[in-house]
Parts: sequence; structure tokens; C-alpha cells
Amino acid sequence: MIYDVCIIGSGAGAAPIAYELSKAGHKVVVLEKGEFYTEKDFSKDEIAVCRRDMYTPDLQDEQHVINERNHDGVITRYEGAKNNWSFWNGSMVGGSSNLMSGYFHRMKPNDFRLKSEYGEIKGANVVDWPITYDDLELYYDKVERVIGVSGEVVKHKFLEPRSSSQFPYKRLNVNSVTKWFDSTCRELGYESIPTPRAILSEKALDREGCSYSNFCGSYGCSTGAKGSARAALLQKCPAKIISNAFVYKLDSNADTVQKAHYYDKNKKSHTIKAKIFVLAAQAIESSRLLLNSKNSYFKNGLANNSAQVGKNLIFSAGGVGQGRIRFENLNEEQKVELMQVGLFFNRSLQAWYDYTKKARVYKGGTIDFLFEHSNIISKAIREFYKDSKLIWGKQLQEKMIKNITTSRVLTFEVFNDWLPTDYCNVTIDDKVKDKYGVAVGAINLYSHPQDVKVGKYLAKKAKVVLEKMGAEDIYVNISQAPPPNLVAGGCRFGDNPKNSVLDVNCKAHELKNLYVTDGSFMPTGGSVPYTWTIYANSFRVADVILDVLKG
Amino acid sequence: MNLLTRRRFLQNSFLSSVIILTCGDELFGAVNISQTFFILHKDLFPSSSFIPNVEFINANIYLNKIFSHSRIKDKEKKFIRNGVRWLNEEAIKIYNKKYINLDNLKRQRILNHIATTNWGESWLNSIMMYMMEAMLGDPIYGGNEGALGWKLLNHKAGEPRPKKAYL
Repeated sequence: MIYDVCIIGSGAGAAPIAYELSKAGHKVVVLEKGEFYTEKDFSKDEIAVCRRDMYTPDLQDEQHVINERNHDGVITRYEGAKNNWSFWNGSMVGGSSNLMSGYFHRMKPNDFRLKSEYGEIKGANVVDWPITYDDLELYYDKVERVIGVSGEVVKHKFLEPRSSSQFPYKRLNVNSVTKWFDSTCRELGYESIPTPRAILSEKALDREGCSYSNFCGSYGCSTGAKGSARAALLQKCPAKIISNAFVYKLDSNADTVQKAHYYDKNKKSHTIKAKIFVLAAQAIESSRLLLNSKNSYFKNGLANNSAQVGKNLIFSAGGVGQGRIRFENLNEEQKVELMQVGLFFNRSLQAWYDYTKKARVYKGGTIDFLFEHSNIISKAIREFYKDSKLIWGKQLQEKMIKNITTSRVLTFEVFNDWLPTDYCNVTIDDKVKDKYGVAVGAINLYSHPQDVKVGKYLAKKAKVVLEKMGAEDIYVNISQAPPPNLVAGGCRFGDNPKNSVLDVNCKAHELKNLYVTDGSFMPTGGSVPYTWTIYANSFRVADVILDVLKG
Repeated sequence: MNLLTRRRFLQNSFLSSVIILTCGDELFGAVNISQTFFILHKDLFPSSSFIPNVEFINANIYLNKIFSHSRIKDKEKKFIRNGVRWLNEEAIKIYNKKYINLDNLKRQRILNHIATTNWGESWLNSIMMYMMEAMLGDPIYGGNEGALGWKLLNHKAGEPRPKKAYL
């Protein structure tokens, strides 16, 4: 059998293609290396999900090699399994979108024109995108309606242009502490923005609304309210989904991909033929598959005759901070408000999406505020130290009970551009093989010095809010550490085949029928989480492929 | 579980494995992990005015299950096992007695002493992490009996809760 479309991966970059094309009557097959879990399989089991990492591969079976480069050019090699350093996210149908928190921000018009708007940055490969915000706006809007984004549009300095005036789904219920936050922001002259979420606030789209169970990030959603690629798209379309199918090689001739080879869970090899292949296995793994698919026409890897595959890998720069709001500083009513569980915080600041310092305009970013995750084992473990010393016994018990029952930690996350550089990319490490005997991906890590500078600038602004709210024990950590769940690049799209892998439609320059639609296509990442943009772009490419199949 | 398989389970379990202790070059005796944990857990997390009865944690029942989990690697188990040996040998070196045979004051001195070493701090941290898993994980894993750990910390468990343990 020859399928019309074979899609490798099933997350936010893959599912819109499967959804649109299969619903249009095309024969679509999705190859996903993980399990096919559905709502009934999900529970809030902290031990399974967060302590034993049930949704990501065991590093002994599958890992990455990380070559970390510091600013002096010294490279340190880490094998993921030996160093317990994982870059895996959700290995399951729907991918990591099952486990996301669903903080959804659109990229801004300036994000598409980073080089034109903010100029060259020494040591960074900053470029403009080959499309504009206007080209993607209708697809951002489509994501709001089809995936389900809830929120409330409020005017602010960096509100992006919208074709619809409001979100299609009303905002989620929030904790009363957001009133204190809003009031503090007003006093500071900051614009507090309700954070849009890819979570349905009420029953819609044949899915249940949020049950406010208070466990969102890292966990699968048992109501279907979260807009995962599986719940929102794959479970609603006739695409054939083959789970436990690890694609290890794509075969091609000089200009056409012909077959995908995959191993099933018993390591038995199978082959799929299709007219069009769509690769969306998450940025690092998509580059790895192309680089591992060498043949006589593509001696350096598929679509890699210009040696661009794997280049310009990006993460989200920034970091986190937190402060503790204690009962001692509150009245009785406020104490009750603080401890309301299940309700969201959902507040963001984007006032410094760009900012001027010493007469130069810098690209800034987004700050999301949220309560500390409800994982109780993690909360308890965080109490193990006092004045940098390990404590136990009554001293630990007293601290744990007091902190957890009479205070709450408000946290923030900073998102700013991880500048693309020559030193941050994906290659293959031939010395380490996975359980299938396939060479693993090497992540060559480097963070441009400006990434941390911008992150620190934003964190200072966030810290002021926590201080003004009366939070104590304020702690900020802005670093070069790459967040494994916020990764993109490696197969950037562009007009010039010499410095990009994909054309404007995310089709490989060198192949007639290969598209890459996960975050790999992004030449720069914007200063927001990537998922909404990946969804929107995948819907855009779906329209392109529909036209191609129409002939 | 019938009697025979239960015995075999206990015989084969990580916690019941015997560790030979030495003092210098000489054999001093033996101890098993379970014996040491029985005392150590109470030293690290005792019944107190804050928590009148810590029996609900059921740490050994939980640990017997979790140490056979495929995600807990041999390297981690080896470290836990070595730590039990080092803890007891430290006690032998200072007091000429196994840790489990010391009085409370001396055991606390030993804990305070090893907490200043890299291995000791890391090992105690690991032991306490597993204790917190036992105390605050879903009761389906055998610890946190009656969900008393959650009640103690006013924790509202997320729904739905697991129908079976992930082991």
C-alpha cells in the first residue's frame, strides 16, 4: 500500500497535518515511537509521572550525548545515561503537548523580523523569517478555535494584531491572589495580562472542560480539556496511527523520499511507502533522523547537501524565580484566598518585549507568573535544607509543615530569545547507540552571552513584583541551562538553499516530497513558548500539502 | 502472594541483602539494609510533637516495591547499599559498634558527622527522598497509609488517582 502522506511523529507539528489531510479524504499514516495513551490512562500519580518519568524513554535505552561549550571554547562531553541528563519530553501519541502546561502566547510581528528590527548581533545567526506575522495570523486564530485556547484579550503595549476580537473560550477561573497581583502591577505601572491557555474552560469541541484538578504541567489531562495534539486532533480524525513505531531511516533517490523504515516494540523492522513524507519528531530527533538517513545521493544525510541540517538549534532562554507568601503577613480572608487550590494564576507581563538600554533597543521577552506546582513530594524535598545545611528530624518536620501549610510559593518563568549560533546544533555521536542499535543524536550546546543578560533584565522586573507583593525568600535563577521542553531549530526555513534546509512552505529544498513541521523550521524562536506557533505553522503547511495533493 | 513466593521475595529483595562490615582490615560483622533502615528512618523522621506517629509512612513496604523498579538503576542501588556499609563502618570506627547498636545520641552524632561529607550528604538526601515518596506518594504504592501524609500537609490529591502502582 502507498499512503498519500506518512507523518513521523505525532505532536503539535504533526497532528494538524494528519487532521486536515485525513479529514479531506487522503490516506494518512502517523508513526509514533511512544505508547497510545488516552484520557482514561491518565492519573495524577506523582511517583509514576515525575519521580519515575513514565512518559519518557529510559536513558539506558535511549539517550543523547551532550557536548557543552563554555564561553572560553572548552567543550565537555556528557553521555545522557551516565549523567542522568535527559532531553526527552512526552514519548507518546500527541507528544509533549500531552504534558504541556499550555501557556499560549503568539509570537509578535517583530519576532518575524528580528534582524531587520534589532540588527545584527555579533556571534549570532539572527535572520528574518521568510514569512510575516500576517501570513501566520489566520492560523494562530485557527488554533484558538480548533485546539481550544481560553483567555481574555486585554489591550497592552505589545498586543499583537488579531483577526478576532476575543478568544473563543472564556478565561479559566483564577485564584484570588491574582487580584493582589493586578493591584501591585497597577501601582508599579505594569500591564498585567491574563495568560491565554490551551485549556478549555468549559465543555466544547467534543471535549470536557477543565476539572481544576490542580495538576497540569507534566501530567496527561484526563478530561481532554488540555489542547494536546492527541485530544484536539488525532482522536478526531481518520488518520491511521501506529504507536511504538520508531522510524530509524528514510530512503530516497535523488529528489524523492520513497520509504520510511521503522522498528516496532519487538525491534522488528517495517516499511511504509507514501507520496509525501512529513517529519515532525521534535527538533533534535528530526535532525538526527535526517543525518542518520545517508545514501548515495545524500552522503551527509538526507536534505543535507548544503550541510545545514542540525544547525542553529535553539532553546528558550531565560529561567525562573520565586517568592514565598506567608500567613504572617496576611489577614484571615487573605489566608483563605492564598490557599485556594485548583484555580489557576494565569498572569503574564510583556511590557519589556523590547526595551531600550543605553540608547540601544534590545529584544526582551515574556514573564509568566504561576503558583508552585502542586507535586507534594517535590515540595517536601525542597524543605531539606536550611541555611545551606541538610536538616532532618524535628527540625525538618517543623519547617516542612510550616512552609507547606501556612505559605505558598509564587513563581515566575522568563522566556527570551535563545540566539542561534554556530556552536549550538545537532550532530550524530557514532560512539553511543540506542536500544535499536542506531547512533544517537549529539546536542552541541552553547548559549550566546546576550541570552543571560536579557533574561536577568526581565527577572529584575519580575522580582520587583514579588517584593511589592510582600513575598519572602525571593530566589532568581537565570542561567544558560537549556530547557529540554522548549527546543526548536535545526532545519530552519528560508529562501536561500545555501543557508536553510527548508523552503518557505517547510518543504526540503533538495527533495520534492519531504516536509519538516515540528519546531525545527524556526530560524529564531520569539520570546514565548513555541507550541502555539508550531501548531499554527503546521496548519499552514497542511493547506500547502492539500494543494499539492489536489495537483 | 503465597507463603513460598513471599519468602522468596523477601530473600531476594534489595532490603534484605546482607552487608559485610569491616574495621580496618578485619571482619567486624554483618548487617542488612532493612535493619539499618528500620533505625535510620526513625532517626531521620521520628515520631514527635509535630507528627505523633510516623508508622503510617510504611517506608520499608514502599521501598521493597520501589527498589525492584526498572527505573531505579543498579548504580543508585549500589550507592544506597554502600552508604549503609559506610554508615555502619563509621560507627564502628568511632564507637566500635554498628550504627544500629548505638544509642540515639551517638547515632545523631554519626549522622551529623557524615552529613559534612560529600557522600554522606548525598546519601542522606537520597534516603530522605525515598522516605518522602513513601510518606507522600499515592497509598497504592504501600506507603502513606490512610493518606495521613497528605492530611498532615493539607494536601489535596490530584484526581483521578492511579488505579494501580507503576512498577
